[in-house]
Amino acid sequence: MSDFLLEFVEVTQTIGDGLFFGTTYALIGIGFSLIFGAMRKLNMTYAAAALAGAYVGLAAFTFVNAPAPVVFLISALASGLIGGAVYITCFRFIPIHNHLAALMASIGALFFIDEIVVHTTDGSPLTFPAMFEYVMFELGPYGIRGDLLFVLAVNIVSTIGLLYVLYRTRLGLATRAVSQQDVAAQLCGIDVHRTNAVTFVLAGLLGGIAGSMTASAVGVLSPLITVPLTVKGLIIAVIGGLGSIPGAIAAGLLVGGMENAFLYFRGVNERDMYVLLLLFIFLVFRPDGLFGSTVDRD
Amino acid sequence: MSITKLIAMALAILVSTFFALAHPVVAADRTVKIAAWGAKSGPLRSFGVNSEAVLKGAVKSINDSGGVKLGDGTMAKMEFTYYDSACNADQAISVARKVESQTGALIGIGPTCSGAAAAMYGIFQKKVGDKSDTGLQFPILTDTAIRPGLAKKSQWTFRNVPNEITMYDALFKWLRSKYPNAKTIYGGTETDQAHSRITFAAVIVQKAKKYGFEWVGGGIEGVTGKIIAGMKNVLNVSKSSNWLLADTNFSVQARAFKRSGADMMIISSHPFTTCGMLKEMRRQRIKPKVLVGLTSSSSAETLKGCSAAAEGIYIPTGFAPITKAAAKVAAAAEANGGAADLHSAAAWENAHIIKQVVEATGVMAKPETLKADRRKVRDGLEKLVKVDGLMGEIGRVQDEGESIKPYVFVQAQKGAWKVVHDPR
Repeated sequence: MSDFLLEFVEVTQTIGDGLFFGTTYALIGIGFSLIFGAMRKLNMTYAAAALAGAYVGLAAFTFVNAPAPVVFLISALASGLIGGAVYITCFRFIPIHNHLAALMASIGALFFIDEIVVHTTDGSPLTFPAMFEYVMFELGPYGIRGDLLFVLAVNIVSTIGLLYVLYRTRLGLATRAVSQQDVAAQLCGIDVHRTNAVTFVLAGLLGGIAGSMTASAVGVLSPLITVPLTVKGLIIAVIGGLGSIPGAIAAGLLVGGMENAFLYFRGVNERDMYVLLLLFIFLVFRPDGLFGSTVDRD
Repeated sequence: MSITKLIAMALAILVSTFFALAHPVVAADRTVKIAAWGAKSGPLRSFGVNSEAVLKGAVKSINDSGGVKLGDGTMAKMEFTYYDSACNADQAISVARKVESQTGALIGIGPTCSGAAAAMYGIFQKKVGDKSDTGLQFPILTDTAIRPGLAKKSQWTFRNVPNEITMYDALFKWLRSKYPNAKTIYGGTETDQAHSRITFAAVIVQKAKKYGFEWVGGGIEGVTGKIIAGMKNVLNVSKSSNWLLADTNFSVQARAFKRSGADMMIISSHPFTTCGMLKEMRRQRIKPKVLVGLTSSSSAETLKGCSAAAEGIYIPTGFAPITKAAAKVAAAAEANGGAADLHSAAAWENAHIIKQVVEATGVMAKPETLKADRRKVRDGLEKLVKVDGLMGEIGRVQDEGESIKPYVFVQAQKGAWKVVHDPR
């Protein structure tokens, strides 16, 4: 194979790998967007809750040797519960228009959850189970990781499930109504607090899947990744357009692909600089992101 | 009561008082206080947990055997307080200032992390007796923080950590003879961790080159003997195979390793990313003839995270439970909820070094002698030439405040670290 072809294969493989990883970023971004869409507030604990859920799943693996699908399920459920608890402690009793208080409360909760994990595990990296971990599909010169294909499939199914709930169920209707005009929704008989709580649980379930898929893609779980994942989730939510689920998906894939491309061409020290530059460009030239609505709900 | 009984009782009291006085008195109000600090929170919490567990065992063993003999012959108990500095430079500095000014601690042991140590050492008086320098005058004997060449920043700062330069030099010399057909090397490091990065670029690759291993594709000629220029060269040629401490995707780096086809591959990082990288290498079916890791990865964390993927990796270490003393420390650490490894085991040695220095320099451990006692301990530490360690004799480099510790080479085999070469 000529040098050009070799380089072409290398670059496309690099970007392809990034896109696969981008699906986990997308799930984290969706969680941020979902809650922002519902309450117009940022839930900074989202990634921490996602990883804490993954740790609960890991406990099932460690203590009762639960199989990987059960671990993923427990991770999602635990993260959903944590999401509900975060809503009650950081959002429920803070006046709706006091955005700063809710933001600070959720930042506090982020570090609190992270420290609980650190104190429980002493910060040690722990093996996280994966499906098809060492399966590699060879397509000519390309290689596709079996576990990442599984992660992609789970992420697609989760996103479809979320979209179904949002657009085909009464709960979804209520969530969308609250996100568009909470007072009007309340006048229509929708319990706003209950709807917000359910949105947090729903986002938490998705976060648990994202957390366990991220851990499974790495094969190891560590509290080291909480803050970087939070930052990445925020970047994706902003680039995609806060509140936009399709935007979060597109931005997750974009960031995943670009991260790998920048790593390949410019090295790891410059990689994040370009991703942050991308965020800066969006904030300046397209503050509503890829798919964000420019219309305020009120 | 008869006169005889009274006399007998008085004699008994006198005799028992004599015997009591003949034995050294254990002073209840005079203690040898140690202030220790390290990462007890944050992602590197295991450093502090392990260090504290080992120190607790060491202090108990010293007290169980009678305590520490002070300058006037009094036996005093040793006690320590462990503070959390979270592997953070600011916190390490504020703990250092606090213990120096607000506690009666004779000496500090901390702050477990190299980055925090590098910053913290800067607030100590550089040259003893320099009246123009208002830096802290408080002796420090650091464990765990292993980045080469830190302690010489101040004459009050001392370390008892393995010497990576010596260890990797010996490792590559040994690997050269064990794998005569291995010619090429390739590797990567976590560039946001100074210890991993500096050890990779200034020590590991340069020592490998010294023993005839060549970086794939060249590009680092002239490295040996020109450490700084060499470091830049190494980091430049490895820029696409490096990563960051919290990275989760290693596909690009692993493919760079695979493309290199090197006989020997080097992973210079801490356990989390070492595991991430090793797992990715396994997925991509990368099997080098020789795999070498960073000293910090020769711990239980790596085996907890990826024992199967780590199979075969060689790492030099200053601790393995292969001597009676080392096995005792490993058991004590476990009993105290931690683990003894190349980082934390030094806390045991440090407690015993402090006992030795206090006894040799006539420390009084009284509030009014605190300043003089601290100076005595510092001077005593500086004078040390050799001390007993868990793996054998530890040499001291007086003008640098560093140790030369015995070491062994371990290899990950079936979920455990096995000693494969013992050059002691």
